[in-house]
Amino acid sequence: MNFERFQNQSRLYVIGALEPEELEQFEKARKKFGKKAEDFITKCYALHEAFALSLRPAKSSAAIKERLMAMVKAKKES
Amino acid sequence: MKGIQTGDADALSELYDRYNGILKALILRVIHNEAEADDLLQEIFMEIWNQAKNFSAQKGKPLGWMVTLARRRAIDGLRKKQAYARAEERLKNETEQQPDAWVHNATEEEIVLSDTRLLIRKVISGLPPAQQQAIDLAFFRGMSQREIAAKTNTPLGTVKTRLELGLKKIYDGLKDLRDEL
Repeated sequence: MNFERFQNQSRLYVIGALEPEELEQFEKARKKFGKKAEDFITKCYALHEAFALSLRPAKSSAAIKERLMAMVKAKKES
Repeated sequence: MKGIQTGDADALSELYDRYNGILKALILRVIHNEAEADDLLQEIFMEIWNQAKNFSAQKGKPLGWMVTLARRRAIDGLRKKQAYARAEERLKNETEQQPDAWVHNATEEEIVLSDTRLLIRKVISGLPPAQQQAIDLAFFRGMSQREIAAKTNTPLGTVKTRLELGLKKIYDGLKDLRDEL
C-alpha cells in the first residue's frame, strides 16, 4: 500500500468504516509508515470534530448538569 | 482539560457549559431520543471526568477526544438498547421528509451559525448527495460499508468509493480549519 492509499484508508479508519479485511492491511501499512502514519491519523480525527460541529447545538436540561456535578462531588468525597 | 486532569470540578463545569450543546446534538443525531440523549450526555461527561488522565494534547484537541468518546458511546448505546430498528424507522421517516436531513435539518433562519459551522456545512453540502448519505450512515449510524451497501442497495465498491471521495473532499476542504479544530 502506498502512502496515498494509506491516507484514503486512514479517513475511513477514523470513522470506523474499514472492513475487517481492510483493517489488517491498514495496520501493516501503519507500521510500515511509522510516525508519518500516526501524524496523519491524528489529523484525520479532525473529521470527528467537523461532523459534530456541522450540527446545530442541542439544548440539555439544567438537571443534567446538576446531577453530573453532584456525582462528581460525591466521587471526590468518597 | 488540564484542570479536569487535576480533579478541578469547576473546570468540568466550564467544559460542560462550552460543549454540552455540541455533544448533545451528536448523541441525538445517533439515537434520536431526547431522554436517552440526556442520560447519555450525563454518562459521557462522567466518563470524561473519569478518563481525563488518558487525554493527551499531543494526540489531538479536547473536542476531538470528547466527540470520539461521545460517538462511540452513542452508537454502543443504540445497539445495546436494541433501539436500532425503532431509530431506523425514525431515520427513514426523516429521510423521506428531508432527503438531506444531515445538511438541512433546520432552516437557515432558525440557526445562528458560527463561521466555523458555516464553513463546515458549506464543505459538506458541496458533496454529491450519495456521498453525504454514505458518510452520514457511517459516521452517525456506525454502519459498516457492507451495511451501507445493503441499506442503500448499492454495490460495495461504489460505497467504498463514495466514502473515500467524500471524506477526502471534506478533509481537503477543511484544511484551513484543521489547525483550529
